[in-house]
Amino acid sequence: MTRCRLLSALACCATAILVGQTGRDAYRQAYTVWQQAQANLERDAGTGGASQVAQADRSAAAATTFEATRTAYFKSATEEVAQRRKLLRTAAVRSSPDAIPPAVGDLASSELQTVTRAINKFATDKDPAIQQVRQSMERERVALAALIDTIQARQKTVAGISAAAADLEQARTKTAAAFDQQSSLLSQTVAQMEREGPAWSGYYERLAQAIQTVNAPAPEPAPPVAISTNIAPEAPRDESAGRIPLVRYVGEWTYPVTNGIFHGTPPVAMQLEVHENNGHAGGTLVGRFKPTAGVTDPVVQFTFDGDFSATPTQKFNLMTNDGTTGTIELIPGPAFNLLEVNFQTGLRPNKIRNGNFILVKK
Amino acid sequence: MKCGLGGVPTVAFLCAALFSCAAVRAQDGPDLAALEQTAQKRGLEWEALAKDMNDRVARILPCDPRALAAVNEVSQASEARLAALADYLRAVSSQAFAETAAARNLLSAEEKRAVEASLERADAGQEQTAVDTQSDALALSVKQRTSLEVPQKLLGQIAEMIRQRATSTEQQAAGADAAVALLRDLVAKFEARDVALREEFAASEAERARWNGYYAARRARAQIECSITQIGATRRQGKQ
Repeated sequence: MTRCRLLSALACCATAILVGQTGRDAYRQAYTVWQQAQANLERDAGTGGASQVAQADRSAAAATTFEATRTAYFKSATEEVAQRRKLLRTAAVRSSPDAIPPAVGDLASSELQTVTRAINKFATDKDPAIQQVRQSMERERVALAALIDTIQARQKTVAGISAAAADLEQARTKTAAAFDQQSSLLSQTVAQMEREGPAWSGYYERLAQAIQTVNAPAPEPAPPVAISTNIAPEAPRDESAGRIPLVRYVGEWTYPVTNGIFHGTPPVAMQLEVHENNGHAGGTLVGRFKPTAGVTDPVVQFTFDGDFSATPTQKFNLMTNDGTTGTIELIPGPAFNLLEVNFQTGLRPNKIRNGNFILVKK
Repeated sequence: MKCGLGGVPTVAFLCAALFSCAAVRAQDGPDLAALEQTAQKRGLEWEALAKDMNDRVARILPCDPRALAAVNEVSQASEARLAALADYLRAVSSQAFAETAAARNLLSAEEKRAVEASLERADAGQEQTAVDTQSDALALSVKQRTSLEVPQKLLGQIAEMIRQRATSTEQQAAGADAAVALLRDLVAKFEARDVALREEFAASEAERARWNGYYAARRARAQIECSITQIGATRRQGKQ
């Protein structure tokens, strides 16, 4: 678990930087880095050795970064798209035909009929006063006729609104359905991408193991194979299938000054030396952690030894300079020059009892 | 400002905020239901007064102040109705224009998204080619090292995943163009709706002016009816 956290932290850091940088450009850049990291790996896998294992590790890290960056970008894009397409989900606004009394036209027509009848009644009356009233009624009739025209014109615009709103609704429903399908396809793509990331990690891990299978000491040395196009017979299988090259453990290792990866108490400085003699390992670790509550002596120093096993994780017994015993695990990191260290000691009051961090080869 | 998906997250955030603002503005406008209700209420009030105006005035003597008051009361109710209607139609137009603006923004963003979709299709194609190349190279290497059969199988599965995704992106890119065409048509419909609303508002305002003109003529008639009655009475008094 701890190891997973530490290794994924490396990829996550790179991803966070890339996602923070740009959108599509970031994942395309990560893709280019990955493609460069894995160039000719499969071609050389048939004849390669330690350098191809390291390349597989680098490719796995680059693939993880690419997949994480791309997935983050697509997830963000999916949310953004869903947000802005909300517009298509609600009916468009229109004016209600009920805002105007339906009897408006009838009322005006009725007034027109009344005033017209009165005008006709006074048509033959020569009395000047009656004629004056008749003229005022005539003006009223003209006003009503004009009013009825505008009422009819307005009623036409209401019909126009109804037609336009119906057209709009039909188009909106159709468009919303098309974009729903788009959103669904986008979500499907994101789900597919999420499956690809772990698949690539698994692939590179198996590829590295397969390459190491032949790299282990063989019963008889295989004839050198010059180039991949020269197809050789099946490579001899090694009895110690799965063994990690000793070079992944042996050597001098140090804790990086900046951006160190750790779990638990933060280290300040660490120096690890591992040597091998006839399959037997030995070494020393000297270092110092940041002071924490209950730890007055943050310095750690111990020696360890034991036999190398066929498993990737090497576990040895250790003894501190004050005679306390414990165990140390050495785990090859995601890149060839990285080694994870995980140690635990017996009871040491006020002193560091365990540590977990990644070292870089000197 | 770039609102496409390829922009920096800050720009994408700003674009999302603008979309939200447009949506919020559209939602936070005047309460259309309340305005419509007011317009309906004023309409009913006017209708009740207007339909029996002539009957009421007919039962009042020409110079009785209640005659002119009755006409004025209907005229004022008419103006109140038409003012409430104008408020409602103005609010509808305002909200409609905000919707149309949001639809135009959506079209612009979706056009960029369609371009992105076609780029993603190209990317998937490129990835498919790359994994096929890897598969071919690994197939040759397997002949030299049989332990590579397991990763070869895994690579085959990955190639199949990428093929499926490439198919999805293909459908997406093809669908994106069609969806954008529909959206473009939808924006045109939004604009047509806005034109129709503008026409309705203009017609309503013209009708408002005509109603006012009619009631002015009606008031004028009431005043003439009173004035000729008074002239008649004066003449009769003069003769006596």
